[in-house]
Amino acid sequence: MGEVEKVFISGLREKLIEDKVITEQDLVPEFASEIIRYGGKDVMTCLQCGNCTGVCPISLKIEYKTRTTIKYCQFGMKSHTLSTRWVCATCYRCYEHCPADLNPAELMIALRHIAVREGIVPPFVKTAASNLLRYGLTVKPDEAMLKEREQLGLPQAAITKPGWERVKKDINTIIETTKYDRLLGITNKEEGE
Amino acid sequence: MSYAYFFGCVIPSRYPGIEYAVRWVMGPEGLKLDVSDIEEFSCCPVPGIFYSTDRDTWLALAARNLCLAQKNKSEIVTVCNGCFSSLLKATEYLSEPKVMGQTNKVLSKIGMKYTGIPERVEGSNRRVFRPVSVRHFVGIVHTDETMKALSESIKRPLKNIKVAVHYGCHYLRPTENTAIDDPNDPIKVDDIVKILGAESIEYDDKLACCGAGGGVRSHIVELANALTEDKFKNISNENADVIVTPCPFCLLQFDTAQKSFTKRGIPVVHVAQLMAIAMGADLSKLGLELHNVSCNPLLAKIGVTEVSR
Ligand code: SF4
Ligand code: SF4
Repeated sequence: MGEVEKVFISGLREKLIEDKVITEQDLVPEFASEIIRYGGKDVMTCLQCGNCTGVCPISLKIEYKTRTTIKYCQFGMKSHTLSTRWVCATCYRCYEHCPADLNPAELMIALRHIAVREGIVPPFVKTAASNLLRYGLTVKPDEAMLKEREQLGLPQAAITKPGWERVKKDINTIIETTKYDRLLGITNKEEGE
Repeated sequence: MSYAYFFGCVIPSRYPGIEYAVRWVMGPEGLKLDVSDIEEFSCCPVPGIFYSTDRDTWLALAARNLCLAQKNKSEIVTVCNGCFSSLLKATEYLSEPKVMGQTNKVLSKIGMKYTGIPERVEGSNRRVFRPVSVRHFVGIVHTDETMKALSESIKRPLKNIKVAVHYGCHYLRPTENTAIDDPNDPIKVDDIVKILGAESIEYDDKLACCGAGGGVRSHIVELANALTEDKFKNISNENADVIVTPCPFCLLQFDTAQKSFTKRGIPVVHVAQLMAIAMGADLSKLGLELHNVSCNPLLAKIGVTEVSR
């Protein structure tokens, strides 16, 4: 399948799949059950009414439509769907407005679970998760921020205290136990170490 | 009941002034609530990363924080919609005995166990376990008693200030987790703003998303900014003086996205910072000069001189 670039709002570039003709070999029949296993339990019960697309802020802006994504999942269009990438804002508006009380947001989250298991891991996910391993926080305050804290008279940041070593150790233990480090391919070593 | 502060990652790394404001507003010079620190609290962890990729890891990391509050017998005070929904959702997951058991297996490796907080049933020897309570700063402030105390502690009334309240998605939804306000017609932040003497303006699509959530900001910043711009236009049409939100991540998005589409920015502050301003806190401690969009026009309109160091 070839990809084309389309330009949407404010110059936003979207990679779209050009060839919409899907052959049977492209379909993965067990895709729906995989989605259900990862928490997208409503995939097959969707009525395709389209309310979710209508209220979705992202569907307004780019070539991503909530209802259509669910239809693709029902068909088993796995590679097609996983290439939709991480555009759902998890705002849960679709869930509030679904007349059948289904939860498309959790389905999108299930797709992310599957994507990372297929090795599709966006760089920012790796960065945030490795930060947690290395520093015990997903975003670490830099030196300038720590200075600001002092100036504001805030208590010393816990991450600069000796007790934080234990916190980091516990977080590392949890992540090793659930094998999350192996899933994402991350380590607690700094780059180049 | 005693509370424990939970500041998360965005506040300490980007907007330390929010932390100052929250401590000041809740502390002895403000509302005099019993709040302490639990230094071992870590990332909630951020739902857009962890809940999105591996629920088991997300839950174990969240449960670790919950265990710390359980040991201290405190309610958790979150100041961020992300921390709020992540930790609250975790308590719901853990109310399933099977899930609790699986999570405790992981936690046993670090010597922790989540049970909830034991409470003796009155008049008997029986104990019940209450889930660790996860609160949002706004929910704690918005009680009859505290609102009364708040109205009596206004030193700088925010007269003639037009406030555009932005609630943020995870304050409102999903509703089975976050029933602290009406998801279709929330009022709590508006009420607080009004008590401070300001006007809370109506604008189109007030409940729309800031655009940043779920990893969208980190993934395609232009997409996030396009959504912010839509919302900003509606706010700007009503001539708001300031955007007020209970979430530092929405704040970050509004504060940084503005430079991509406007020259004349509208300052963005956390509801705790607005409270601290009105309650008479030292303005040089609120970290306002760390915001991208200058807060000076707002301060000038309130009638206080600009913050300088
Ligand atoms: S609103 Fe619900 S039933 Fe309708 S298309 Fe979306 S998920 Fe399916
Ligand atoms: S949760 Fe995702 S799919 Fe649902 S409305 Fe929000 S952005 Fe759209």
